[in-house]
This record gives sequence, C-alpha cells and structure tokens, in this order.
Amino acid sequence: MPQGDYIELHRKRYGYRPDHFERKRKKEARLVHKRSETAQKALGIKGKMFAKKRYAEKALMKKTLAMHEESSTRRKVDDDVHEGAVPAYLLDRDNTTRAKILNNTIKQKRKEKAGKWEVPLPKVRPVAEDEMFKILRSGKRKTKQWKRMVTKATFVGPGFTRKPPKYERFIRPSGLRFTKAHVTHPELKCTFNLEIIGVKKNPNGQMYTSLGVLTKGTIIEVNVSELGLVTPAGKVVWGKYAQVTNNPENDGCVNAVLLV
Amino acid sequence: MVQYNFKKMTVVPSGKDFIDIILSRTQRQTPTVVHKGYAISRLRQFYMRKVKYTQQNFHEKLSTIIDEFPRLDDIHPFYGDLLHVLYNKDHYKLALGQINTARNLIGKISKDYVKLLKYGDSLYRCKCLKVAALGRMCTVIKRIGPSLAYLEQIRQHMARLPSIDPNTRTVLICGYPNVGKSSFINKITRADVDVQPYAFTTKSLFVGHTDYKYLRYQVIDTPGILDRPFEDRNIIEMCSITALAHLRAAVLFFLDISGSCGYSIAQQAALFHSIKSLFMNKPLIIVCNKTDLQPLENISEEDKKLVTEMKAEAMKTVIGQGGEATNDEGVLLTMSTLTEEGVIAVKNAACERLLNQRVELKMKSKKINDCLNRFHVAMPKPRDNKERPPCIPQAVLEAKAKQAAEKEKRNTERDLENENGGAGVYSASLKKNYILANDEWKEDVMPEILDGHNIYDFVDPDILHRLEELEREGHRQAEEGDDGFEMDGLELTPEEQKTLAEIRKKKSLLIQQHRIKKSTAESRPTVPRKFDKDRKFTTKRMGRQLSKLGLDPTKAIDRARSRSVSTRGRKRERSLDRDDTDGGDAMDVDTPNKKQRMLSRSRSRSRSRPPTEVVPGEGFKDSAQKAKALQKANKSNKMRNKNARRGEADRVIPTLKPKHLFSGKRSIGKTQRR
Repeated sequence: MPQGDYIELHRKRYGYRPDHFERKRKKEARLVHKRSETAQKALGIKGKMFAKKRYAEKALMKKTLAMHEESSTRRKVDDDVHEGAVPAYLLDRDNTTRAKILNNTIKQKRKEKAGKWEVPLPKVRPVAEDEMFKILRSGKRKTKQWKRMVTKATFVGPGFTRKPPKYERFIRPSGLRFTKAHVTHPELKCTFNLEIIGVKKNPNGQMYTSLGVLTKGTIIEVNVSELGLVTPAGKVVWGKYAQVTNNPENDGCVNAVLLV
Repeated sequence: MVQYNFKKMTVVPSGKDFIDIILSRTQRQTPTVVHKGYAISRLRQFYMRKVKYTQQNFHEKLSTIIDEFPRLDDIHPFYGDLLHVLYNKDHYKLALGQINTARNLIGKISKDYVKLLKYGDSLYRCKCLKVAALGRMCTVIKRIGPSLAYLEQIRQHMARLPSIDPNTRTVLICGYPNVGKSSFINKITRADVDVQPYAFTTKSLFVGHTDYKYLRYQVIDTPGILDRPFEDRNIIEMCSITALAHLRAAVLFFLDISGSCGYSIAQQAALFHSIKSLFMNKPLIIVCNKTDLQPLENISEEDKKLVTEMKAEAMKTVIGQGGEATNDEGVLLTMSTLTEEGVIAVKNAACERLLNQRVELKMKSKKINDCLNRFHVAMPKPRDNKERPPCIPQAVLEAKAKQAAEKEKRNTERDLENENGGAGVYSASLKKNYILANDEWKEDVMPEILDGHNIYDFVDPDILHRLEELEREGHRQAEEGDDGFEMDGLELTPEEQKTLAEIRKKKSLLIQQHRIKKSTAESRPTVPRKFDKDRKFTTKRMGRQLSKLGLDPTKAIDRARSRSVSTRGRKRERSLDRDDTDGGDAMDVDTPNKKQRMLSRSRSRSRSRPPTEVVPGEGFKDSAQKAKALQKANKSNKMRNKNARRGEADRVIPTLKPKHLFSGKRSIGKTQRR
C-alpha cells in the first residue's frame, strides 16, 4: 500500500510523465467544451442548477472585466467640490453648527412623534373569516356549526386555561401555537429569537387580537430584556413592540421587525 | 481484532454538494405529481413524506460520518496519540460534535414541520411548509460546511497513513535526523522511503516488512528527533515520540559515529539520555552507523566513553528483562548502510531479541498454562549408541548415478549439427519430432489440400496419353465427315425450312434486342447527372441547336419529353393539346386556348427571377450556396409538412380518439362521421 506523499515522491524521483503538461493543457482546453456540452444537455432541475451557477460565474467575470476596464479607460474627471470638503489645514477647526444641531434634534423629535404610528408594513391583505376559521360540526348528528377552529398561527399566553371543551367556541390548536419570534432589529441589522409577551393588535380586527392570532402585519410585544436596551432615562426596557412580517402558518416560524 | 485501516472511510461531501445530493435524492425518490383536487389528507401525506424522507437521508449521511471516523478514546493509544498530534484532538472532536448537533437539529426541524403539516389546509400551505422545512435543514448543513471540509481533509490524510499494527512484532528505528535510518529500512525491507542528504527528509512514519526465522516483522521508520524539551518539538518529531511511547517494539537507536550528520556524538548521547525513559521494557540496540567513514575504534577517547555509557544504559534494559549482565552481544552493533556491512547482523540481532522478549512475556502470562499442557513434542530416547543410517542397496545407488549421468548427456540439435558437417550443411528435420501413433509415418509425404480437395485425387498419371487418344478419335470422326447432329435443311420440306428460318431470325432478333437493352440501360435518352451538373443538356438547348441546323425540333423534343423520367408512370394525358401542337395550330385562331394564351403572356412579360439568383443583401455568397440553403430549408420542412404541422411551434396532438365518435348510440350518422 502506498504511504505518505507517494505521488510527490514519485514525481521527485522520476519527474512528470512526458505528456503530463500536454495532457493537462488539453484537458483544460477541452473543459470549456465539456461544460458547454453539459449545459446544453442537462435537463430539469440539474439543468436549472447548472445554468444558475454558470450565470453567476459569467456575471462575476463580466463585473471584474468591467472593473479592470474602468481602471484603464479615460474618463472625464468631475471637478465638483464635495459638500463639506475642507482643505487639510482647516480639518481640525470646529464649525459652528450648533444652531443646526438644535434644529435637527427638533426635527428628529417631530419625526419620531409622527413615526410612532408608522409601521414597516402599513397595509396588509384582509383575511376573511372563512379563511381564518374552520367550521367544526358538533352535536350527536353533527348538525350544529357554532364551533370554530383557528387555522392561523396563534399566541396563547402561558397562564391560559381552556374552558370546558363543550362550551369552547374558538379552538386554537396547540400545534399552531407559537411562543417565540425571530425579531430583527432594523438598525442593528441582526435577528434575535425572542419570547412573545402578547399580541398588541391584529389589523384584521379586535376579535383576532383578543384571540391572539398572528398574521402578517400583526403587532406583537416581545421580551427584549436579553438585548439590554435602555430608555433615555436609564431604565432597562424589557417589552417592545414588533410587527410580524411573514405568514407564520406558511413558514412555520414567526418573523418580526422591532418597532423602534 | 480491530483493523487499523482508515482507507475505507466514505467521502465527506462539501456542504454544497451535501445539499445537492440530498435534495436531488428527495426529488428522485419521492412522488412528484400532486394536484389541488386531491383529498387534503393525501396532500398532507405527500408533503410530510418529502420532509421526513429528506430528514432521514440527512440523518443517514451524517450518521455514517460520525460512525466511520474513529473515536480517539476507543482506538489503540498509539493511533489516538498520533491522530492527536497530526490533527489536534480538540479540533477533531469539535468537528464531529458539530456534525452530531446538526443531525439532532435536523431531526427537530423535521418533527416540528411534520407537526405543522398536520394542520395544513391547502396545497399551497403544505408546499410552503415543505419548502421552509427543507430550507432550514439545508441552512443547518451550510453552517457546518467548514467542519465538513475539515473532516474531508482529515479523511484524505488518514487514508495515506501507513497501516501499522500496534500489536505485532515491530522493530522501531529512531535517532537524530540524517543518521541513516531511512537507508537502513530501505536495505532490509521493500519500503521505498526517500533518502536525501539533508535533515528531515522523512516527515512521517513509514512502515516496511521483513522476515526473520519465517516470521514477519514490521519495521517502522520514524522522522529524526532533536534534543530539545518536549513542548518545543514539532509535529514531525512528535510522530516519532508517539511511536516510541506506545509501540512495544525493539528499538534501534541510530548513532552516527562519523558525525557527518552534523551532530556530534555528545549531542546524540544527550538525546539518548533525554528520551531513555521511552525505552523502558523494550529491547534496545545501539547501532553505530557510517563505519565506512570512521570505524568505531578510531573515535576519540571522550566519545568512546560516551558510547560505553550509552551501552551500559542499554544493558540495563537487558537486565531489566531478566537477561544476564555479562551477555553484552547484540546491544552495541556497528554497521554501514553504504557498504551493507553489518546490516543483516543488526536486523538479526534486533529480531532475535524482540522474539526472545515476546516469548518470555508469553511464558510469564497466565494464559500460557492453558496452552502449554496441550503442547507435546515427542523426542524418542535412543535405545543404544549405535548409528542407524538409512540403508540403500548398492545397485540402486549405481542405477541412480547412471540415470543422472544419462540425463545430463542429452543430444541437442546443435550436437547433431556439429556431427553432420556444421552450420550451413546440416539441415534440421522438423519431421522427426512429430508425435504420431506410428513412428514410420513421420517421413510420409503430406497430402496437399486445395479448396478442401486432396490434389492427389485429381492427378491422373497418364493424362497425356489419354489426351492423345482423344485427339486421334476426333480426327478419325472428322475424316468420316458425319455432322448428323446438326440439323440441316436437307431432309425438311420447303415449308418447314421457311418456318425454321423464321424462328431463327426471330430468335436472333430477340437476342440482339435484349443485348441492346442491356447495354444501354433501358435505352432512356438521359445524360448522367455527373456530366450535366449545370443542367445544360436541356430540351430547350437541343431545340435551339436543331433549329440552328435548320431542322424542326418539335418532334425530337416531344419524344424526349415523352420518355423523360418525370412522365414515366403517368397515365395517359387528359387533353390532346399538350403533346400535339399541330392540332392546336389547326384549331380556330379566334379562340386560342388558355395554354397558348399563357405562353404568349409569358413572352410579353419580363422573366421572373429564378429562386437561386443571388440578390444583394440576402447574405449569400453565390447561387450555389443559396441553392443549397434553399434545399436545406425545404428538407427541414419536409417532415413537418408531412405531419401536417403549421410551423415548428405546432406541437398539437389532435384528439386521436374523439369521444363523440366512439361512444353513445348511433341513431344518426356513422362511427366515422356524425
């Protein structure tokens, strides 16, 4: 059995095969043709995957070529002075922009006030009742139709106790209950898996809010104590609102954006 | 018995390949056709199956990885330590741990999504859930991509490790770099280790096998060790240390007494003393190499003292194993791998001492008692002191000697040649070696066979004689002048003669006709296409030429047309006016028929362009190219036209069996048409 780096050893002793480099060159030269052949022949999902890969390669190649070209081609230099450009000897001088700062903060505050009710998803698709609920038949002859089962993901608080099943009008199946949400902080651009505290508002109606239905656009309250956010006053924030951005019943998880 | 063979581990695919493999398997091995109208339970089941199947495949693949990579705690400590030295135990365990976590995560994802799929109420939702499930599984695998790449590299390296059996008889060679360890292993085994005149040529362990007393010994070549603290040693040196520490082997400590390796004897002795704890309970031999450069006797006094010190140290191992203190042979040996002097002695000494040690160990163990009582070698006691050699009769001995002498003196073909006049004169007979039932047949003449017949059967010795006779007979008959067979008209009546003449004439005519027909190939007035590439030999041209000569060409043209290939097989013409223009001329002039009108019009109008003429802007080089293009286009359309397609995009499959024609009562109409 060969041991160690036997190929390198053999090459060290006897050198390459006489036609090694020629074969290599030919193989390389043939490679493009081979690839094009596969590209033409591949069918179905394989073909799609191959095409995608090839496209990505080609796009990258074009980009790099363009970049190289840019460095060699002659262009007009834009002589405009950038805003706020200062000569080096003035760099460490403080501009008196104090008034401006004040102005800005006021503007910001106004904006914040206005933005308090601005949410990332301002409009949502209305969900009809028959889509939201499935009618369950009850009674000995299955003639009564007053029971409803929620077909969407729901949040049910930890202290929830069911009513006697006989009188329970709305059933929230335990398989569709979610307690955690993937919440993205829009400024930090990172996502945390946070616990849901409650449903603040479901845009489809008060009833859904009280039932705790999570649909796209629902505002939920999440526990952000892990994030260590602090209020301007210095208190630790632990509950914050977030808006659901996906259809949890289709994706199997709740994704939300933190409202800051 | 555990096999320490890491060559059979399956390939670990890279993260991307892994995903491709699994997903394409899911695609290929689960059903793919589903419709909205299916019962919801069926839809759920369809997608659940996909999710579960994918998870199973992931689980299987990841499990094989986890199972096939050896656990460092379970394998022999030699391999455990070697792998730790080479790949770092922590990193290795971490990678395998990550694989294990990924496996569990995928299992959990699959469980969750199957649970959610149970509540799926539409095809769309089920499909979304399936996509999400597979996507999350793939993400998990993508995250462990670096671990997979690391494991694949380790697998490839492990496959190249020498297959060392830690429990068998082993001879271990160690010493400073460049003292001749590898050349020694090359001398006594077939291991082909690279030997170069610089330090650290051997960078890993190498194994070879040698035989001593019909037993196989494993010889291990280790990289050189430098004398420095344990912590400072690099990976290459650590390989040697691991082998020294864990293998129960005969250790050959190589000493370069010439100092040509770049290290003095004092340095080498220092190394010996610093690692001597590793030689405990092992047969140790100090080998003084390169005696061709400097014999052991010629070294300086100080060095000699160092060597004797080392020898004393090595003797301790002998004593430790219960050997006699005085028996110092096979502890310090000299050799030269260059001149091969003492190489075999070193090997034999090492093997001998190892064997003795192993036997002693076995004898000491408890198990040996179970075996020993089963051994019995019969050694019969001699009855008296009389010698009893085997008795062979004198005659037999003589006969044997004679036979041997005969055997030697075989007459070869060369002898025969020399006897019979030497080369060029003597011609060897090939026939004498034939193996035949009867030896007399050897010289027989072989029959010559032609086309499956023996030529001899057709040879008539007196054929000339017979020919002569025949000729004579012929002459005689000619002289007699009989032509009785040939029918002559003499006996026939004049009428009969006439018919005979007619028959003969007819016959000869038929033969003649047949011959003509045969020679002219159906006697059609065709010019082979080969000579008429430009289609020059047209009827028109013929007509022009004939009229130039002052002849009326119509008849000739008509005849040619009537016999042309295109009209062959055609039925009779419907109207007369086509082939006899005379009749047309004779008709009323006031009402010229349509054909004539057409002819006249064609004269008045400018000629239309032939299709093959090249128009600038079309992109053809010449008319030939255009003609070819047209021909190709027509050819490509041919099948389409035959299949009654509108164009190449027309892929309509008509209703082959229209329902309304094949079902129902037939009160009105027929099966074909209603």
